Amino acid sequence: MRTNGDYLLLIILAAIVAFIPRVVPLLYFTKRKIPAWFDEWMKYIPVALFTALIAKDVFVTSTYTFNVDSSAEIISTLLVFLIAARTKSMGVTVVAGLISILIFSYIL
Amino acid sequence: MNEVDEENQGWLAVFKIALPLCLSYIPIGLACGILLHSSGFNILLTGLASILVFSGGAQFLIASMLAIHAPLLQVLLMLLFLELRYALLSASLSPFMKKESLGFLVYFASSMNDENYAINYLKFATDKNWNGHKAVMVNHYSMLFWTVSNMIGSTIGNLIHFDVNIVNFTLTALFGYMMVMQVKNWLSIGVAALSGVLSVWLMIVLKSTMGLVIATLIASFVGFLIEHSLEGHKHAFLLRGLHLHRRKGQFTDVKETSDNHED
Repeated sequence: MRTNGDYLLLIILAAIVAFIPRVVPLLYFTKRKIPAWFDEWMKYIPVALFTALIAKDVFVTSTYTFNVDSSAEIISTLLVFLIAARTKSMGVTVVAGLISILIFSYIL
Repeated sequence: MNEVDEENQGWLAVFKIALPLCLSYIPIGLACGILLHSSGFNILLTGLASILVFSGGAQFLIASMLAIHAPLLQVLLMLLFLELRYALLSASLSPFMKKESLGFLVYFASSMNDENYAINYLKFATDKNWNGHKAVMVNHYSMLFWTVSNMIGSTIGNLIHFDVNIVNFTLTALFGYMMVMQVKNWLSIGVAALSGVLSVWLMIVLKSTMGLVIATLIASFVGFLIEHSLEGHKHAFLLRGLHLHRRKGQFTDVKETSDNHED
């Protein structure tokens, strides 16, 4: 069982982990230019990471087995992709995704 | 004239610029607060996390990793990989902040995230009157809405029982949105597909979220390699639709990616 102290430690460490990537480049690159290789490498990290996270949510269970009962999630995720591409709005996408998962997990 | 401009660019004008973002934070913040509550955070911890971490993706990730009882170090490692993208964002804002003091830069960085970055980058690039002071105001407005929504979500989670699986899909939808905003060409779709397949396979084989980290590294590296090997090919189908402004400006790609974050 985790205590509030554990959570507080987690928050503080998470804040540090979240802060370093934000502040270091800002301090460094206000003095210098961004090297091209850094730019090129970083470019593919977000798309790979976000897809990996989505794949985990949809296809992997909490005990690390393949989730065979994920048709509602698959349909809703595809819908999310479509709506995100069309609207480019974070709010609309998330709300539509929630409505979709509510409907499809009820039907299927 | 300057006086009028100053007046127009006061806190209310900046607030109006930040308002669409602030409003879109409400449903997401509520969902995040509900999730954090279900994984054991009380209202104060939720508020503290919203201010100190101030990252939707990271807070959702914390909630979902705590729900599966992941060890602390693994949560932090996943967070680091998730938050590394901020390096790109803050690097691309740096040309506009060359005159700011060290203290200000640290202060600014602590409240920057994907969405307020998108607004600030656009304003810096298009509005001559935009400055660090206004940019920080945008950051703080968005942080205020985010934190209050999270704390209200935490309270709601306390009062009503929600199906965690349903609320958890908010995270999937948020990642889905962020992923789609990153897609610029066929190669990035290929990288996404590779990463998705690899991560599922590796997580099931390794029985650990380390599979996620490894898949991300392999897939992004493959993308980087393919792009390099295709460089100079005129008919590189995979790169079509992306490099409209390639190499003209080092920040152009970043801008294209991030403009889309705006609501």
